Amino acid sequence: MSAKNIFLKPGFVRAPLQNGVGRYVCQLQRIVLKFCKSNGSSRGLRDYIEQDLVDFAKENPGVVVYLKPRRHRGPVVVAEYLNGDRVWMNMHNKTHSEITKWIDVLRTQQGDNSTTRLRKYQYTDHPSIQGPWTPFTFKNPALNTAELPNQAYGANDRLPMSATEQLRLMFEAQKLGKNEELKTAE
Amino acid sequence: MALIRRCVPLITKIVRIHPTTVQTQKIHRWVSPTLMELKRREDKVGKRINPRNTYLEWNLEAELYGFGQRLNEEFDPDLLLQAFTDRSYVIKEEMKQKEMDFDIKMKDNRELAEKGDKFINAYIQNYLETVLPKFPMEGVKGVRNFLVSEDTLANISLNLGTKDIILAAEYPVDKYILATNFKAVVGALLESSGEERAAHFVRDFVITQLNGQDVNEYFSIEDPWSMLADIVKKAGGNLEPRLIGEVGRNTLLACYRVGLYVDKKMVSSGFGESVAIAKEMAAREALKKIFGTEDHMKPIDFKLEGIPKPASQTRYQISAS
Repeated sequence: MSAKNIFLKPGFVRAPLQNGVGRYVCQLQRIVLKFCKSNGSSRGLRDYIEQDLVDFAKENPGVVVYLKPRRHRGPVVVAEYLNGDRVWMNMHNKTHSEITKWIDVLRTQQGDNSTTRLRKYQYTDHPSIQGPWTPFTFKNPALNTAELPNQAYGANDRLPMSATEQLRLMFEAQKLGKNEELKTAE
Repeated sequence: MALIRRCVPLITKIVRIHPTTVQTQKIHRWVSPTLMELKRREDKVGKRINPRNTYLEWNLEAELYGFGQRLNEEFDPDLLLQAFTDRSYVIKEEMKQKEMDFDIKMKDNRELAEKGDKFINAYIQNYLETVLPKFPMEGVKGVRNFLVSEDTLANISLNLGTKDIILAAEYPVDKYILATNFKAVVGALLESSGEERAAHFVRDFVITQLNGQDVNEYFSIEDPWSMLADIVKKAGGNLEPRLIGEVGRNTLLACYRVGLYVDKKMVSSGFGESVAIAKEMAAREALKKIFGTEDHMKPIDFKLEGIPKPASQTRYQISAS
């Protein structure tokens, strides 16, 4: 299965609006708790509302909290974020402590994170800080002061020996041998 | 008859083994064309989006309070409401009131926006002059124009969650309304909390947009060579370009490297596919060094307290040359 077949919104790790460079802004802008006053599945959410919700609202004055009692409907929490994302979460039969933790997750995340597929685990606007490569980038500094042409830098050590070169060497060797023979004869 | 009676089990057996109808998903033939037609009509009219403020769970007062608290600022509630009231909304309401024969005066955010716009421009100009002390005025102006452009301000406004709160005739609101709204919010803050708070607000939300950006991109230099020559001449130096590298001449991958020397000391180097381009790149590199905006420059300081003093007089002016 390729990434195309996972129906998730692709994205990068980014802080919205350079959040934290200037000042930190909580990205959760409003939260709606929908519940039933009599149904058992809303029990945990009702407990949360009775015991923790006022403290939550006091600690986070920037989050607008709405309560929406609905008769004989399942408990739901909807979180809306500054970047326009909306997270819908079913709280059916969840206990008080579970709901506390889920709401903490909703409060601290920066958008609809669970439905984004991260394309990479890091992100940068500037992949290179040394600029584009050129043939001069990693040049040996010794070349700056070298006297050219220089056998050390200009030697041909990549190609195999040419036929001409081989013949020349053979000829030289032969001549050398003759001379030696002559020498020894003398 | 006996023959038929004897054949009946055989026939039922055959039917059981070879069913004549293949089991298929039962979707009526009309479903697909109907859905296609509905989709076509929806595309033609445009999808209707319900504005958030028409929902049952909506309280404008709480939203405005939350807006101020979220940004850690204290706004005058009336001024903030005025900042969120767009001109188009006021016109629409007045038309409605005319029909119903009553009159309630509403204030729109044009005045606040104008005030905020002036403040934002002046503050950003001073701030940039302070944090980029060697950058020429034209460059500072370019960076400022980027920061106060409609796109940038609209993006900031959108990400501060104003989209749903704005009172406008249309929904979703367009960029102009978002940008005006942001300026008006700054104007409202200026009136309710004073200059310093407003300045820090602009610093934290507008100037931080420069984080990770290259300021040189907002300063387009037509002819870097003559600009550099001019500066060096004024300083009394002798500028000399030299070809210090040459690879693959007369090929597609030719690369030349030009070094710039002032009084026989290398200032910068640049490369390119021709000598002219390499020379221009070297001049740009040298200008960046002079302006203090090299690629490895220190990040811009986003924590300056208070309102910095203008320093325009002491600066190098290009327009003079």
